[in-house]
Amino acid sequence: MKAEQFQIEHEETNSQHILHIIGELDLSVVPQLRSALEPVINRTDKTLVLNLKNLKYIDSTGIGIIVSVLKLRDELKAPFYVREIPPAIKRLFDLTGISRYLTEGTEAQA
Amino acid sequence: MNAIRLQIPAHADYIDMVRICLFGIATKMNFSYEDIEDMKVAVSEACNNAVIHGAKDVASEVIDISFESDTTGLTIKVKNSGSVISIPNALDKAAPLPDVEVSGLRVGGLGIYLMQALMDEVDVKTTEDGTEVCLTKFLSATKEYS
Repeated sequence: MKAEQFQIEHEETNSQHILHIIGELDLSVVPQLRSALEPVINRTDKTLVLNLKNLKYIDSTGIGIIVSVLKLRDELKAPFYVREIPPAIKRLFDLTGISRYLTEGTEAQA
Repeated sequence: MNAIRLQIPAHADYIDMVRICLFGIATKMNFSYEDIEDMKVAVSEACNNAVIHGAKDVASEVIDISFESDTTGLTIKVKNSGSVISIPNALDKAAPLPDVEVSGLRVGGLGIYLMQALMDEVDVKTTEDGTEVCLTKFLSATKEYS
């Protein structure tokens, strides 16, 4: 019955590491997301982008991970963007207050 | 009040089943898409707490979920046996992220806040054998400001 299996697609360009987060991001896939982030989160030479276009669900566990990425990238003075946030997800970002810390970046590159 | 009961192993892999069950019940009750999305997150947060803070040494640990509906709305009760979660205190302290520098942000602690923000009523009962979180959403209710 689950419409879409959770998956992460890694796209690398000249200037960016883009992680496409697809499906339902809940507690059960936290280890999967952490291990996908691990090789790119410390890369200061490239912009880190989370593309949420096909994200169907998020809760405090996923938002907590984004907060931890924000903090680490801020510490490293490295660019980090969250792009194509679906309206239902955006509402939760607004409620929790994380929205004001997220830079959406240019849509053309998304 | 009619109750539909679901029992899952106290493991993160089964929380999606609770959302699927909730979706079916709430859809049948004619809740709006937004209300159903809100309830999915709130109920998952209650289950997350039960999984994270529940007793880990017991392999047979379970979470009992009860969906109780009447004409006014839906109450979802999430109960875990085993260790007690200190949610009652957390209920008063729950808040969104503060408006501070990124470096000052805490990771975590948003789950209980989200339950309160997304449901019409949130109640936590701590008993000798566990913790029960009761989440209520009223049908076509205008959201109260708490």
